[in-house]
Amino acid sequence: MGDIVLAGSTSGTTTLTPAAVSGTTTLTLPASTGTVMVNGPAFSAYANAATSLTNGAFTKISFQVEDYDTNNNFASSRFTPTVAGYYQVNAATSIAAGTTAELSMAVYKNGSGHKQGSDFITAGTQYSQTISTLVYCNGSTDYIEIYVYIAAASKSTGTGDNSVWFNGAMIRGA
Amino acid sequence: MELIDKIKQIYPELTTEDFSPRGTIRLQNDSDGKGDYIAKWEHPTLARPTEEQLA
Repeated sequence: MGDIVLAGSTSGTTTLTPAAVSGTTTLTLPASTGTVMVNGPAFSAYANAATSLTNGAFTKISFQVEDYDTNNNFASSRFTPTVAGYYQVNAATSIAAGTTAELSMAVYKNGSGHKQGSDFITAGTQYSQTISTLVYCNGSTDYIEIYVYIAAASKSTGTGDNSVWFNGAMIRGA
Repeated sequence: MELIDKIKQIYPELTTEDFSPRGTIRLQNDSDGKGDYIAKWEHPTLARPTEEQLA
């Protein structure tokens, strides 16, 4: 048997194409109603230039370089997925050596704090912070950014693909 | 002078804790060249400073 072509309710068609393999391949659909997700957006970016931080403020981190951006949804250090669904987002930053500082990260959604990460006060030679969460995006207007809070003057983030980064991927459709 | 210093000058009773992730005041910088601003002011007794006070 070849392709199965399903007519759309308004226009167009959906084609199911069996893999070109010998033998029997079985596809079992779950016993529930929903939308089957096919390769949702994923991205990864990092900073190759430091972001200057302000004492006592949440500052948006800039990520200038993309490792990958499968659906062209990452721009200006902001992830705006065009497919509605639930997204796993992760980020990390490092801060150069200096005085004692409180450091924390936050995932911002649509310009406001959405999820706050852990924070700590340290006088180490260099310190880093990470954050990870799930967030729902509506696939049109919702966007995600990463902010960092620091309580110390004259600080900036580090740089590099292994220390100041931001990535994410769709894990479930809406 | 940074925004937090200007605010502390107006309200010397404020501490760093008031501006922390646990505090009632949130200062923000969107890294867009426009500088720091007050994103949230929920202090129970002190009024949000005016632009004139912060100028």
